[in-house]
Amino acid sequence: MTNAQLDTPVLILGGGVAGLAAAVDLARRGVAATIIEREPRLGGRASQFCCKATEACARCGACRLGELLVQAAHLPQITIYTAALAVAAQPQGDGWRVELSPQPGGEIGPGPGRPLRERTTLNTQAVILAVGGEAFNPAGKTRFGHGRVDGVFSALELEAMLSQGALGPDGLAPAKVAFIQCVGSRDASLGRLWCSRVCCGYALRMGRVIRKLLPESQVTFFHMDVQDYGRAWEDELPELRKQMRFVRAMPGEVTAGDGRPEVTYALAGEQAIKEGFDLVVLSVGLGPPNGASALGELFGAAKDSDGFLTTDGGPAGVFVAGAAAGPRSLNESMVHGGLAASQAASRVASLTEARHG
Amino acid sequence: MAKVSLVWVATPGLIDLDPALVAKAAGMSLDQGGLLEAAVVTTSLEQAPKQLRQRLVGLPVAWLELAAEVGGGPQAHRLARAAVAVSRAAGRAAKGTLPPVYAPQPAQSVLVAGAGFGALAAAWEAAALGHPVTLATPFDDAVQAGADDDPEAVSLLAAQLPAQVELVPHSELTRLIGGAGGFNVWLSTNGDAPQTYGAVFLAPPGELAVGCEVDGLDPALCCPVSELNPEDYEGPQDGWLHVAVLAGTAEPVPSYSFSAALEAALALARRPRVQVTLLFSEARVAAPGGEKLFRDCREAGVLMARVEPGKLSLRDGGRELAWLDPLLGEELELAPAALVLAQQAVAPRPAWLDNDLLIKPWDELVPDNPRLAGGRTSRTGLYLTGALRGTAPGDARRAEAASAAAAMHEVLTGKVVPMPVVRDSFCASCLTCVRTCPHGAPRYAGEHIQCAPAACVACGACAAECPAEAIAPPGWGNPEMFSSLEWGLALAPEPKMVLFACAASGMPAVASLSAQGHEWPAGLVIYPLVCAARMSQLLLLKSLELGAKRVLVAGCHPGNCRSVTGNHKAMAKITSLSGDLAALGLPPEAMEFLPLAANQTRELAQKVAAMAQAAGEE
Amino acid sequence: MRLNDCDPGFKHEVAAEPGGEGIRACFACAACSARCPVGANRPDYDPRRLIRLTLLGRRDEVLSSPLIWLCSSCYTCGEVCPQQVRFTEVLTAIKNIAAREGHAPPSAKITAELLAKQGRLLEVTDFENDKRADLGLPPVEQRPGDFQAILGLKPAEGEAGEEPR
Repeated sequence: MTNAQLDTPVLILGGGVAGLAAAVDLARRGVAATIIEREPRLGGRASQFCCKATEACARCGACRLGELLVQAAHLPQITIYTAALAVAAQPQGDGWRVELSPQPGGEIGPGPGRPLRERTTLNTQAVILAVGGEAFNPAGKTRFGHGRVDGVFSALELEAMLSQGALGPDGLAPAKVAFIQCVGSRDASLGRLWCSRVCCGYALRMGRVIRKLLPESQVTFFHMDVQDYGRAWEDELPELRKQMRFVRAMPGEVTAGDGRPEVTYALAGEQAIKEGFDLVVLSVGLGPPNGASALGELFGAAKDSDGFLTTDGGPAGVFVAGAAAGPRSLNESMVHGGLAASQAASRVASLTEARHG
Repeated sequence: MAKVSLVWVATPGLIDLDPALVAKAAGMSLDQGGLLEAAVVTTSLEQAPKQLRQRLVGLPVAWLELAAEVGGGPQAHRLARAAVAVSRAAGRAAKGTLPPVYAPQPAQSVLVAGAGFGALAAAWEAAALGHPVTLATPFDDAVQAGADDDPEAVSLLAAQLPAQVELVPHSELTRLIGGAGGFNVWLSTNGDAPQTYGAVFLAPPGELAVGCEVDGLDPALCCPVSELNPEDYEGPQDGWLHVAVLAGTAEPVPSYSFSAALEAALALARRPRVQVTLLFSEARVAAPGGEKLFRDCREAGVLMARVEPGKLSLRDGGRELAWLDPLLGEELELAPAALVLAQQAVAPRPAWLDNDLLIKPWDELVPDNPRLAGGRTSRTGLYLTGALRGTAPGDARRAEAASAAAAMHEVLTGKVVPMPVVRDSFCASCLTCVRTCPHGAPRYAGEHIQCAPAACVACGACAAECPAEAIAPPGWGNPEMFSSLEWGLALAPEPKMVLFACAASGMPAVASLSAQGHEWPAGLVIYPLVCAARMSQLLLLKSLELGAKRVLVAGCHPGNCRSVTGNHKAMAKITSLSGDLAALGLPPEAMEFLPLAANQTRELAQKVAAMAQAAGEE
Repeated sequence: MRLNDCDPGFKHEVAAEPGGEGIRACFACAACSARCPVGANRPDYDPRRLIRLTLLGRRDEVLSSPLIWLCSSCYTCGEVCPQQVRFTEVLTAIKNIAAREGHAPPSAKITAELLAKQGRLLEVTDFENDKRADLGLPPVEQRPGDFQAILGLKPAEGEAGEEPR
């Protein structure tokens, strides 16, 4: 059986914000691109994120996904296949020959893109790997009780709860909320010795959303250091410090107390404290994509010492964008997608020139 | 007035609606394939089949994302809403006030004013996209880097610059007017003669400055990180040489700056018998490799000392440091042989930016707004990158330049450019539009208002503010809007309501809800706007006059508006009318602003439902 | 306390001692302090504080502190530490330095004497061996020689198969 054949100047793996932004920027540059997304729907992790605005926009960038989806759907230079996985790739001529395999569960949804129906061979001059990062599975940090202790959630679960409106006066109304930072980052014992960059920003902003929804609630932020996050962050921090209790200590464990989780932590010069909370949120860090090694082998992509994919040192015509290249916020991922678009467009232009000249 | 026909494009969300019924309800005829005078098409320009687009060339056409406006619910409601939307669009098409396909021929040349990695990246990107580029640098050549750049990366990039980039050395930008496609720019090398460019990148070379340390340190002991030579430091045979590295003691430093301090501390700690103490208020380890460096420093013996911001006290004429160790609760003292200070990349803001009354204040020109990320400013065609914007040195600046260049290319080569219509006979030359426009589009030239060829985004701020009603963005002039509101509200059952929805927030939320089959109240007229900036007091009051019991404006959250203050302007107008509402016997909630993000569909649905219930009970 | 008067070499000295390698990795997150069962009963015992004093180079204060002998070697601190400091073993290294310099508390000296004499803390008497015989188990011997060798009181016995398990 012969595969269906497709030709595209640029193949983009991953239909999250970085991949979509790369495709839109390529279209702006007059270069056509094909996005393939493993899942049945586009959007990646950002589609689960809530709006973190309170009195003003929190600049999290989650709302910009919709804008990108509309642009991607309307731009004639962009072709999108969902439920499609790259299963083999080999350099061919100036570019790559990639085998795509349809994934189960692909149905035409309300968003842009059509599911891939058959095994397809795709020829391309440049590849952008925009497969996103993988959030740490908090069950791997057993002492924080995720999956064992009721009332312990990962920050991603909190995002979904907030966007579904599960928290508020009419829903779940925790009086005391704790955020535990650096779960799965800044951690040599897990082999994850990097700062995940985005967690301070998202946790404090979700804390502020909770304070707005439930003005009586108390939010505690267990952390080691507050990282920088965007240009206006330093101006924003003093107000956040007023709204929440900042505790500079990593808790030792989270256990099931009397009907609610209890957090054990120590302050300098005091004995350890066991304090009950109604909701404990584990701020999970971003790591390399799960399939990083598989993708690395597929395209021979280079990896940095932490396992994130890099453009530098990789094969010609393979570019990495977004959180696959290291922890990045949504806004940073979109701008980074623009860089990969520039690199891919430049390669396509030079190959075209070489062919005609 | 042209006779308008309804052209029905099959759309998944509309299959249960009979086009003939919709046309009849809207008082129009359905397209039978013959010649058309004017038309309403039920889909967007981008989604229309090519053949149809060709057929409609040159005709007054109103494009309508009908499926988005109709939503779900009982068929009768859907039909009514479709009729409302179609008739509203028909009003526009009939008057011929459609977005004119304007061919203003924007200037394609690009000026990059600045130096260093960010400026070269911008020049390279603009040239790669085929634009003639002028690089005005304060230095002798393109190779000289900003103090915050990696000189190797700069010379590598300078060597790659294509020949079409014209270098103007010893030159600085001193003034600028106009907008995308038509900037007038004064360069110090050009005397009084302005030059025209389509777009301008501003990337002044970065400097390294000590900004986050306590005042009063003995200057004789101080050495900035960039000037440190670790080889100069070595401890005595029988003891230790103490060096303090200060990395954000007054307030935290950015993570790239902290990483540079860590590298300095590590190099010092590897010298013989040198004990390094790193003092900081927050360990900013978020730069790539920062956490590893932080650990390497500790392994090499660097003592980490956390200080409450600003609480480092100085003794002995700034030669001795004292602080409270938060862990021990004791005061620690250190008399170091040297003080190494962390630095941040800064670029002085050009004076003309602050002094020119036609340039928006800094916070409005370069707000930290997700819609203006990647080098964009609120002035279309003006891009501001690098240290001046606070972007970290290195890769982030390259990405910023790439993203800005793609946006610039789209602006200058866009096929359809909205152009405000200015009626000179009405214009009082008050320059309200010039002062109001966030995008720098209009300017006063030769006794009338002229618009930069590619700067307008049709936000409508000018039209809302113009006291003479002389100016209107395409399709959004008062007469057209009033007439379509009238059509719409006349058809809507009681209680009548209007939802004005911004294209960046309210409308996408409406569209997602409609796609999910959401049931809108039957009396709700959904009125899409490019930006909430278009809301005028007149439009708000007109809605009430035409029978609306409730007017809701769904715009962006403060700080998220692409036109920076469009949402604030709408809010201010609603607030200023609250007193009048009472005089009219209306409750204060008759007019409201709902700050919304595109993904806050639930919030919009709840608000509209609550509004409909309250209006129905009156 | 003036850092100029402290001993910056102390942390390197501890790190050079077997078991002490992890000391410098600590970033004072307090996870160990939160879980330490000794700290739960002794307010003045805090692993993080002992590490801090060591890193600051307060050599005499650490080595002469009675607190360093309180560790119960439960290894909980090592389990929760995100930086793999392995404080139990770090403390063993510190205790070894302290003992060499005569800071060992009387209890440690008595422990060493008992080991040197009996090869174990509890003496094995006929009472234990009779019980073992009832259960069909072989008798246990006291082998003080092995421990005397470890404690440096006499050279090791070279015979194969007699090493203590």
